[in-house]
Amino acid sequence: MAPRRQSVVLGLLLAPVTLFLGIFFLLPLCIIAVFSLLSPGLYGGVEWSFYHWNYGRIFGWADGIIEIFEPIYLQILWRSLSFAALTVVLTLILCYPVAFWVSRLSERWRLVFMFLITLPFFSSLIVRLYAWLLILKPTGLFNTVLLSLGVISEPLEILYTPTAVVLGMVYVMVPFMFLPLYAAVDNLDRAQVEASLDLGANRVQTFLKVVLPQTLPGIMGGAVIVFIPSVGNFVVPDVLGGAKGLMIGNLVEQQFLSARNWPFGSALSMIIMAVVLTVLLISVTRARKAGGHA
Amino acid sequence: MAPLLEIREARRTFVTPEGGRLAALDGVSLDVGANEFVTLLGPSGCGKTTLLRAISGFETLDSGTMRLDGADLTALPPFRRPVNTVFQSYALFGHMTVARNVGYALEVAGLGRAGREARVAEALEKVGLAGMGARRPGQLSGGQRQRVALARAIIAKPRLLLLDEPLSALDRNLRQQMQLELKTLQHSLGIAFIFVTHDQEEALTMSDRIVVMRAGRIEQIGTPRDIYRRPKNRFVAEFIGETNLFPVTVDRVEGAEALARTAEGMELRLPAHGRRSGEQLTAILRPADFALSATGIPGRVTRAVYLGSDLYIFVAPQAGGPEIRVIARDGAGIEEGATVHLAHDPARVHVLEAA
Amino acid sequence: MRNPVGWAALTAFSLAFFAFIYAPLFVIIGYSFNSNPVNMMIWEHFTFDWYTGLLGLSDRTTDVSNRAAYVESTDQMLAALRTSLTVALFTTTISTVIGTATAIALARYRFRLRGFYNGFLMLPMMMPDIVLGIGLLIFFVTIGMNLSMLTIIIGHCTFLTSYVFIIVQARIAGIDPALEEASADLGASEWVTLRKVLLPQLAPGILGGALLAFVISMDDLVITYFVSGTGDTTLPVFIFGMIRRGVKPEINAIATLIILASVVIAALGLWLRSRKTD
Repeated sequence: MAPRRQSVVLGLLLAPVTLFLGIFFLLPLCIIAVFSLLSPGLYGGVEWSFYHWNYGRIFGWADGIIEIFEPIYLQILWRSLSFAALTVVLTLILCYPVAFWVSRLSERWRLVFMFLITLPFFSSLIVRLYAWLLILKPTGLFNTVLLSLGVISEPLEILYTPTAVVLGMVYVMVPFMFLPLYAAVDNLDRAQVEASLDLGANRVQTFLKVVLPQTLPGIMGGAVIVFIPSVGNFVVPDVLGGAKGLMIGNLVEQQFLSARNWPFGSALSMIIMAVVLTVLLISVTRARKAGGHA
Repeated sequence: MAPLLEIREARRTFVTPEGGRLAALDGVSLDVGANEFVTLLGPSGCGKTTLLRAISGFETLDSGTMRLDGADLTALPPFRRPVNTVFQSYALFGHMTVARNVGYALEVAGLGRAGREARVAEALEKVGLAGMGARRPGQLSGGQRQRVALARAIIAKPRLLLLDEPLSALDRNLRQQMQLELKTLQHSLGIAFIFVTHDQEEALTMSDRIVVMRAGRIEQIGTPRDIYRRPKNRFVAEFIGETNLFPVTVDRVEGAEALARTAEGMELRLPAHGRRSGEQLTAILRPADFALSATGIPGRVTRAVYLGSDLYIFVAPQAGGPEIRVIARDGAGIEEGATVHLAHDPARVHVLEAA
Repeated sequence: MRNPVGWAALTAFSLAFFAFIYAPLFVIIGYSFNSNPVNMMIWEHFTFDWYTGLLGLSDRTTDVSNRAAYVESTDQMLAALRTSLTVALFTTTISTVIGTATAIALARYRFRLRGFYNGFLMLPMMMPDIVLGIGLLIFFVTIGMNLSMLTIIIGHCTFLTSYVFIIVQARIAGIDPALEEASADLGASEWVTLRKVLLPQLAPGILGGALLAFVISMDDLVITYFVSGTGDTTLPVFIFGMIRRGVKPEINAIATLIILASVVIAALGLWLRSRKTD
């Protein structure tokens, strides 16, 4: 392959994306950063003066006069991180066996099930969440079935609890975890699995010593792809979570559309960005290190 | 002495994607002794790999028995059979060091690190890779990886070692070197080797016995010499080594010899051995069984191939008929177009029992 | 070699998994035909009422909706659908053009910032959409731009360009550069080679990217939510609003139709991909 030198055509090809993303992606992110350090105006809007108290409200330094430290923000941040982590773990546990199963099917069935996995991805997110709303509410499918079976005597309160939020996020994120996992499982060298059995390792040992280490990159990839949207998610907690399931994404939405405190909302957004960039950084450095091995 | 491995009437049928049935193993019976080097030889699809995988446990048999040391092998999953395999692709664990690869069988058996270290070093020594324990498979050459696969398979002292075309990926020189090393290794370890290959030269070089297979059945079992000198049928004759096949009719019997002629009239002398005039049979002579001399079958050299030490020539018989292949020992000076005479010792002629 | 017991367990688990994925969709579809407007779990009788009501063909409204002070007219829903389609069309076109151009640039040219661009294009996909949405909102307000369909289109393009880029990039990786070299050898300029040799080969990948962009744009909720003005609603935002205000049987009908549409599109995508291998 002979990549060509710089040329006019290259410039023409790159200009659109450079301009577009530069203006409509980088610039807005910078503005968020700037706004997070500005003071909120009295009637909405901003005052252009340096104001670090937005962060103070979240992290603890506040003078008690202008801003008050409310630990609830850290709690919500912590909740967001743990929900996201839980989502990663649950989707992993769900998808891993299924990825295995699909990869061992015949060619024709594999196509069928891959199609079935990706189909919900095309179907509207809001519709799928709405379905869970219907299922989980006190008069919904879940409770009705359990009541009629006599398992419970009163409807379980699942909707508007943290459980519902995690359930919803797991449901939404499953296709994202499945695809990288499947790629990793499919690429597994079957001969190495046989070699392990041949040498006396039983199936559990083979899984732990050969299969798991070799599918680890896929697991890590899936984890990153699931964790990031989960952390900043606001639709799922909004539809299924209620007050008890509030996540940092909901806070941001409130600050921008109800409380109209844009600097504070920006500060919250910066925190989300920081989390995301940290996760990305970790995964990139890990990938680079692993690439050093043969 | 009871054989180490006894296989009786092994059968395995596959359903093809088109829906037909393919008999990968069609009634295979075989005995392998405890310190034997046996080679399964045959073209692709003959069932040799299926048989190997049935022994190691990765294929099941539809019917038939397999006993190792008298105990039923088919009841055991692969990880409980005292049989280890060297895979064709080597199947080294890419995420482990050479040392961990080699010591794997001991690791899963529960042996501690200290106990493993010494034995790993010993195994690496045996295959000529001393000191390479810290490397990773990706850093090794093909030949080195092959040796790691070998070391890994022998460390647990299996009763039987299975080798699935382990040398096919190596270049010629390395291959010949490894053939010798494998043979020596087998002797020093004192365990049975079952070796699968489609390369008949390799089989002839290394084996105590060769099992020639075709389409799921065993065509012939015998020592290399047996197979080469006395092939049972046309398939075996043509599969092993270069050969000349002559369909002939016996003209007359004169004393200890019988004279036979090809359809074109070329004359061949065979041992008299119960031959009758008018009998039709197929006679075989290897290229090395002909010699250039002053008398014999006349013919013209159509092609001469230089083999380094010998000359491989194709001779078109004057009488007509297919070319005869001959190895000329001192073929200096034989060129295309030259007229030669091919003499042969009747005793070297082998008659096929069947077509 | 398969362990039959293990395989059976795995199969059971996997089928349960797929049931879990699809059950909610079937619930909605089922409900949409249930004439009981209040408690959808109790089956009254089969009806198409909710669908006909959607399309404005019947006058049946529910007591629930009458008691509530809001009236969700069919017009609003159809307007939202129209907006979604318009936005998706523009977005798909723009992001496909930009994404493809970038993929070609990175694959066929060597320049110093190549690695940087590769990483840079991944960023919009990795950023949570709430951050993107907020950023664009602040941006538009700060520069004094009114929120409208245009701002929605811009918002979608920011991250959809990356999606198209990835798909086209993957496709380009499988294309033999020797053909373009032959074209140049025969006298075609860069631009002509691009048009006559590369783009035709790239077509299935471009189409695939465009389809993906279209679907994601139709379905986008969060970014649209923040950057749309009061006048323009897309379908997902509209449904979101409906849900927030309470569950109504008409939603089931809309949802079922959306599910149907997505099946059609997914099948289309599959058919396209099966034709790609030539």
